[in-house]
Amino acid sequence: MGCREIREVISAYVDGEARPEEARLVEEHLGACPQCRQAEKRMRDLGMAVARTEGAVPPDFRENLFARMEKEDLLPKRRSIFAYSVRWTVVPLAAAAAIALFVLSSREVPRDHPSTAMRPPTATLVGGDLSPEDREIVASLEILEDPDLFDETEIEEWEFFTPPPRQRG
Amino acid sequence: MKTDAELMALYQRGSRDAFEELFARHHRRVIHFCYRMTGDQARAEEAAQEVFLRIARAASTYQPTARFTTWVYTIARRTTLNFLRDEKEDGEKVPIDPTGEGRDAGNGIALPDSREWGPEQAAWGMQLQERFLEALQKLPEVNRAAFVLNRGEGLSYEEVATVLGVTVQAVKSRIFRAREALLAEISGLLE
Repeated sequence: MGCREIREVISAYVDGEARPEEARLVEEHLGACPQCRQAEKRMRDLGMAVARTEGAVPPDFRENLFARMEKEDLLPKRRSIFAYSVRWTVVPLAAAAAIALFVLSSREVPRDHPSTAMRPPTATLVGGDLSPEDREIVASLEILEDPDLFDETEIEEWEFFTPPPRQRG
Repeated sequence: MKTDAELMALYQRGSRDAFEELFARHHRRVIHFCYRMTGDQARAEEAAQEVFLRIARAASTYQPTARFTTWVYTIARRTTLNFLRDEKEDGEKVPIDPTGEGRDAGNGIALPDSREWGPEQAAWGMQLQERFLEALQKLPEVNRAAFVLNRGEGLSYEEVATVLGVTVQAVKSRIFRAREALLAEISGLLE
């Protein structure tokens, strides 16, 4: 292979892309040909020249690009720290408020409250056809409804408030 | 550390951080490639922005089987090619200094280490770079792209072949032709 034909292989050899048999051929040729050795050096220098030719990255390059991307809806918007703080403070607060509301609403309305909604229906029961035993149970209903008035440890006392089976006739 | 393909998958699922990481990894090389291909800083910036917009727009079409870098350079090459075509249609051309034409490529080129350059050598180095950039623009686009992708961007012949859609043998020939033409253009400057 003459100098003209082997120059393309030398080019690939310089780039590390020559096959092993080509590389052997090139090395043999370079050992005997000063012109091709010079050509090989020039090829290597040219590679250095292109590597040194670099564009500059302008400081606002990223900012401009991301603004264009956001305009085209190509970049998900970042949540602000405020948004995160709202998320992590308002949600637990709302949950706590809901729990508090539930607890408060589930408690018995105080006896001196003007509303009668939670009171036993004494008006309809007084003078009704309740037996004396029933009346006693109804009178004790307030105690049953108010857990604060009831000692949970003495659970057997539930039996005391359980109305006995009605006797018909 | 996540791979480019993993980051692309995350971006496809709506992760901004994933795209920012991909941008951080690749924006310099994209700008350098555009600069080497267009020969102009302003055009390189414009082209590089367009490259990233195209990457984002085409994210859903990216397949992890393709190496991300190869995919990016395929987009970058098409983008710069469109820019150059548009310029040609508009009648704009990259300025070429005619004094560089017809020089003898047979003279040797020696590029000393620029870190050791004095003021005169630094000025000469700047001139050399300008002339080199101009010489690059004189090359046929396919030869320039092959040479820049291999020597400037570090892609293998096989990867260059993938980006350009040609055979490895064609890449080998194009890089050789680019070298010969560049040496003919700038070696005279170094006499």
